[in-house]
This record gives sequence, structure tokens and C-alpha cells, in this order.
Amino acid sequence: MPACAGERFKPSAYIPVATAACLLVGSSTLFFVFTGPWLAERICLAVPVCAGVVFFFVLANFTMATFMDPGVLPRAGEDEDKDDDLRAPLYKNVEVRGIQVRMKWCTSCHFYRPPRCSHCSVCDHCVEDFDHHCPWVNNCIGKRNYRYFFLFLLTLSVHMLAIFSGGLLYVTEHLEDLWALEATVTVVVMSISGLFFLPVLGLACFHLVLVARGRTTNEQVTGKFQEGVNPFTKGCYGNVKSVMCSPLSPRYIGKQRKKTPIKIQPPFKRPESDRETPVKIRDNGVQTNIIPNKAVEGVNEPDSQRLSTPPPLPPKPDPVLLRNHLAALEESLLYSRSSFPSAQPAGTLRPSLDPLSKLGPLSSREEVRQTMETIMQTGARTQDFSSDPNLGFPSSTMPLNSLTLNSRSLSLRHAHRYRDRPPLSSQTSEALTSTGLASQSLRLSPSVLTSRGSSLSYDSLLGPGENGSQRGLPLLGYQAPYFPLDSGGLVLGLSRGPEPQRHSPHTRSPVFMGMTRQSPQPREPSPVRYDNLSKAIMASIQERRELDERDKLTQRHSPAALGYAPDAGVYDTPSRRSLPPEGFRGPPSRGPTPPAYGSREFLMSSAAYGYGSRVGLSCSSTSSLSRAPRIACSSTSSLSRTPRNNSCSSTSSLSRAPRTSSSPLQSHPPGGITTQDRSLSPSYHSIECHLQESPSAMPYSPTSYATPRGLSFISDTETRDEPP
Amino acid sequence: MATEFHNLQELRHSASLANKVFIQRDYTEGTICRFQTKFPSELESRIERSLFEDTVKTLNNYYAEAEKIGGQSYLEGCLACTTAYLIFLCMETRYEKVLKKISRYIQEQNEKIYAPRGLLITDPIDRGMRVIEISIYEDRGSSGSSSGSSSTTSSSGR
Repeated sequence: MPACAGERFKPSAYIPVATAACLLVGSSTLFFVFTGPWLAERICLAVPVCAGVVFFFVLANFTMATFMDPGVLPRAGEDEDKDDDLRAPLYKNVEVRGIQVRMKWCTSCHFYRPPRCSHCSVCDHCVEDFDHHCPWVNNCIGKRNYRYFFLFLLTLSVHMLAIFSGGLLYVTEHLEDLWALEATVTVVVMSISGLFFLPVLGLACFHLVLVARGRTTNEQVTGKFQEGVNPFTKGCYGNVKSVMCSPLSPRYIGKQRKKTPIKIQPPFKRPESDRETPVKIRDNGVQTNIIPNKAVEGVNEPDSQRLSTPPPLPPKPDPVLLRNHLAALEESLLYSRSSFPSAQPAGTLRPSLDPLSKLGPLSSREEVRQTMETIMQTGARTQDFSSDPNLGFPSSTMPLNSLTLNSRSLSLRHAHRYRDRPPLSSQTSEALTSTGLASQSLRLSPSVLTSRGSSLSYDSLLGPGENGSQRGLPLLGYQAPYFPLDSGGLVLGLSRGPEPQRHSPHTRSPVFMGMTRQSPQPREPSPVRYDNLSKAIMASIQERRELDERDKLTQRHSPAALGYAPDAGVYDTPSRRSLPPEGFRGPPSRGPTPPAYGSREFLMSSAAYGYGSRVGLSCSSTSSLSRAPRIACSSTSSLSRTPRNNSCSSTSSLSRAPRTSSSPLQSHPPGGITTQDRSLSPSYHSIECHLQESPSAMPYSPTSYATPRGLSFISDTETRDEPP
Repeated sequence: MATEFHNLQELRHSASLANKVFIQRDYTEGTICRFQTKFPSELESRIERSLFEDTVKTLNNYYAEAEKIGGQSYLEGCLACTTAYLIFLCMETRYEKVLKKISRYIQEQNEKIYAPRGLLITDPIDRGMRVIEISIYEDRGSSGSSSGSSSTTSSSGR
């Protein structure tokens, strides 16, 4: 009898096991003392010897079944369960041999119970391959000691049969003197063994069937596989083999393993793959010594990367300023063309934009190039960008270079974005290349743009109507210094890019493709870094996009300001703190998922046992279910990663772990889950509660079990199951 | 990654636990002990994918070897039964022998591969064979731009 997790000493728990032990040992001893010698004389010495051997095995198996750790799973540490209990779903699906199996969250042990694992309420721990809690050995029967329990039953049946037969033989030979001591003892022993023989034999046969079918008592009682398929069966022979011949599993708790401490000392090595990113960028024809950095991949790192290109680099951008400017930019994109002139700061090169306006969205490369050259010529003399003293970039002297540079930078951005694109040609034909890059980036833009909001939609680009020409892309302000004539510089069709840019707030985003109108709003100039700045811009654009998406999701899913719709289901925004809606509160607000294997019979059995009484669970089902795919929804909020989400997405998560585990959740419509499973989500506990209340409804109780002892045995085992 | 920024004279490093990644069990083949080989995203910038997968696959192989049902395990059971299981007091089962091998392997992996990268694998047996816990350590207390780089990479762990 292993120590229970709860330290209370319950003497009543030891009564059955003490009774069983006393009966077993006592009766057998009496038999061997009083009847054995007669049997040895009358029949053969081998008879009591064999009986003795059997009794020896009975005792050994009984001891192992009683004292062996059944496969207790240690409680999970706090760091393993990063989510609140309120946030993680109650069930997690996992696929076992093609069949969906449900893993339930154990509130006591703080992990998702592995398949076939169950929590014993008597012992207060989770047991692997939980069979049942046996009061006669006062121990759970689980993965490690099931074989011994099964052998105990078999050997006990044989032993009882042997005792009963031997006693019967003695009594029939001594009928005339039944009041002699030996005879009396023999009769008593016979009656005891006769009384318990049938229940024990019945239980042994029951477990024989279970072993052959590869099920546990728990699964049989809860009717899990009644109409479904058992994913754990290996065929009759395989099942028997695995019970009888499998190696002894190790204990998980109680062993203090000696550990050699390992020193972890920075600096830490990093994987080589990080250094490969610049190679790809170089392949795009961009001449860089790019320092590998995660920021290259579009993460918000406004200040950590620079392209070491020949021109002098402006100082690092101010992210706040950039964001403000970006906000202003985006607003400006919605302004009509009519307001454009009035908003122009002095000296901006409006006329230079006219050639751009002639470009349509599908302008050819040549057209673009010519247009650019026109702009260069007309705007070469104007140095409008006084905002950035650092930009001592004589635009008049190298406009084409700047264009090339811009294009290179653009292509660089796109290189990060679209890495699978074939590397572009070398820099020798710079002009053509640059425009080619530009138009390529332009071509890229539609896909980028359409994912964006209205102000950046490709449709707006296509329609150079009253608004179309005003709309553009958010300015990649780095171009501003190179096209001072159009104070917004040129946006080569990008709405995102990894390079940070210091952006002049008032520089608009005339789209290269023809969305050449500058933003009408005057903005104060700011220094512009042609490469790093764009990154910050893009980062801030991304942030705003994330915010927009989040807002959209919230609006979609929760009319209330804070909450979320109960039926949001798998589409709930993971990053949102899932406050359950009022009226759906239950204690740990987890919800059921559709039943796993044997689903139909699961529903039936649940309904049969009146699952509706599990109100608390069902009420909270919807709310927790909406929370469920916190993991599943990680894709929608991938941009808005919080630490919590990171941990969720990786593991499993637990709950999280593999996203595959949550995919079944995802596949169900939220409403469907809500309506169906509210009343029908099966749970061992509820079913067993009902079993306890109505023992006569137990489906499997064999007729031979009609004895009170058998019934009490079964109902006792069920009572001690999972906690509420 | 940003090793070129390191000024050895200025560095005063200490490692602190930043995050833990849990590799869950793979139940696709039943309840045998197998761990998922999916590469967690938190380790993207910390260790090469191939090294990680090798480690997990080797562990899976060890566990498969330990749980193999065959002649040896059957004889072991019979022997144990005939001796009233007293043999368990004297002798180590095959599973336990393999567990010791696993523990040595994990120790070696930690020393050679994971600790230099600021990672630490916890033996799954300590977690009830439910998860492989990988602790991610961050460089803390270093100076200069190296701290910038470590804070960059540490964002992956958060």
C-alpha cells in the first residue's frame, strides 16, 4: 500500500486489504496444516506441494500488486504550466494510430493526462494506464503492476479451486466425524473459499477478456470503445504478450537520481544558419556587408542593421518619430488629390511627379525608367530636404545612383520578404537593374498591398481616380533624400520592408507606379536614412497592422469592449486575455471538446448517465472552448507575439504543445461545439458519479456478479475515481 | 552571432534561465515512449535543427530499446516471478539499465552540445516521461553591444 499523496491516515481504507490478507493467509495456512497432511498421505505428496507453490505465487503477486508503484506520474512543475488554468482548454486531442484520442487536463497534477492515464481520487495522483483502484490491495492498478494484479487473480482462482477441491475430498472421506478438529477447520476453509471463489473467478475472467481486447477496466466501464475502435489494441496475441512479457517500467517518483551539475557559461554558441542570410541578400545583386540579424527578417529591430554601402549613412532613426511619421503618412494616403497642392511644403517638386502620374500600375520597366530619369532631371537642382542636415547627399550629383541605391535597398527588403525569388542580375547594368528591381518590387507590391487595409489596397493603386492617385504606399522614406523634388521621395511599391528608415513626416509616398501624388499634409522634415529607416517604418507599419488585425478580431468576436463571444470558438484571439463572459462562469473554466474515440457511444453513454448534471462544466464549456484554440489561432496573431504565445506555440505545449493537437478543435465550427458538447461532453468523473448512484446500470457487470460483494467491489472502484 | 562585438576584457557573464521549452510525447504509435521531433521555434536561433533532431531521435531509439517486448523481457519476468520478485531487490532490470544509458547520453549531450549553447536538457524521467524539458539560458550581465545581441536573441525565448 503506497503512501497516498494526501498525508491523512485513513484506517478505513485498510480494512478491505487487511481482511483480504487475513483471509488469504489464514485460510491457506489452516488448509496446509490440517488438510494437507491427509492429502499427502491419501493421494500424493505432490498435491499439497503444488498447492503450496501456487500459494507462494499468490502471495508474491498479491504483495507486488499491493506495494508496487502503479505508474504514478509526478505532478508537473509550475514552469511547465505557463498558462493559467483558466486559459488552457480542458481537453486536447491527439492522434493515436489515426484515431483521435482526448487528453484531459488534470487540475491536480497540472498536465494533460497522457492517453489511458487517469487520476485516482483515492490516492490523489495520476496513474499511467490506469485500470482501477482496488480496495482489496488498497492500491491503484496501473501500468506497472497490472500484470501482477492479473496474475494474482489467476493464481488466486487456482488456489481457491485447489483448496476447495482438497477440502471437499477430505470432507467426503470424513463425513462420519465432521466435528473433529481437522474436519471442522476444513469445512470452515472450504466455505470461505467457496464463498469467494465465484466472484474472484468472475473477476479473473473479466480481466482475461480485458487483456485479450487490450482495454483497461476504466475504458470498459466508461464504455469508451463500445462502438468505436480501440487504438491501443495490438491484436489478441499482441495484447497478451504486452501484458505478460513487457519489461517492468521504471518508477517516476521517489527516486533521487544523482545528477552531475553542468556548468553553463556564456558566451553561447549560435547556430551557423544565422550567417547565411546575408548571402541571400547578396545574391539579389545588393552589394552589402550585411551583419546577420533577426531584424533582417522583418522583426522590429529598427536600429540593429545597416547596409554598408558606399554613401554615408545618416544617423539612426528615432522609432517614435518614425511611427508618428508613418501614422501621418497613412492618413495622408487617404487624402484626395485636390488637397495635395495646398499641403505641399515650399519647394517640393510637384511637377516632377506628373511624369509619375502618367505611369499606370502596369507600366513597363522602360516607362518607369524614363519617368524616373525625367524626374531626376527636373528635380535635380532642388534641394528640398533641409530637414536632414546629415543627408548631405547631393541629389543633383547622383540621382541615378540614389535611385539605384533605393532600388537596391528595396530589393534588399524584398529579398528578405521573398527569399525564394531568383537572385537578380548584377549591378553592372545598374540603371536598368534598378528600375527592373523597382518594377519587380512594384510587382511584388500587389500581393503585399492587398493584404493591407484600404488605404494601401491595390485597388486604390489601380484606380487613378480622384483618390487613386493620392493613395499610395506608406512611404519608404529613405528615398526622400534622393528625390528631394518630390518631397515624399518615391515609394517603389512596397508596403513593408525590413529596413528602418528615418522618415520625414511630411514626405508622402508617391508610389512609383503612378501613385505619385504626394500626401497633401505638411509634415515637418526629419532626417532620412535611406536604408535603416525603412526598417523602422516597416516595423511600425507592421505594428499598426497587427493592431488593426487585433482590433478587427476583437470586433468580430466580441461586441463587448473586452470580452469575446462565447461562440468564437477556435477563432478567438489568442493574445486576448480570455475573460469568460458573464453567466458562463464555472469553476476552472474549461470546456469539453468533442468526444474522442468511440464518439457515438460516448455520447450515448454520457446521455444515458444523465450528463446534464455536470452543469458547471457544461456552462463553462463555451467560454473555455473559445479559449481553446489559443494555440490554434497563433497564426493570426503571430505578429503580435506575447511571451505567452511563444511558449504556447512551441510546445505544446503543452496544451498546448503541438498545434496538431488543437487542429481538431479548429475544424469544428464554434457553434457546433457549443451546442453539441455542452450536454454531451463525456467525462469519466461524471459517468462514474452516475455509476455510483446507479450501480444497477453498470453495463458490464456480469450476471455472476450479482452478489453484493461483486457489486460493491465495482461500485467502490468507481467511487474512487477522478475528482470533480 | 554577434561575437565580433565581444570585448573580452569587458565581459562579465552570467547565465540566467530565460525560458523552458517542453518537447511533448508523440502518441501516434500508441503509449510507447516516443518524443516529438518537431523543432520548437524557441530554439531557432539557439541550436541547429539537425543536432536537436539527432538528440531526440537517439532518445527515442533508446526508449524503444528499453520497452522492446522480446525474449529477454519475458525471461526476466519469469525469473522474477519464480523468485517471488525478490530478484528485483538484487538485480537491475533491463529498463533501468537503458535508463542509465539514457541519462549518461543526456549528460554527454548537455556537456558537449547544449551547455555551450546555453541550453540544458532535463532527463524526461524526472518529468514522468511526459516531456523533455529544455531550459534556455540567457547571457546576463555582459556589457556593450553583446548585451544588445543577447537581448535580441533572447526575444525569441520570450
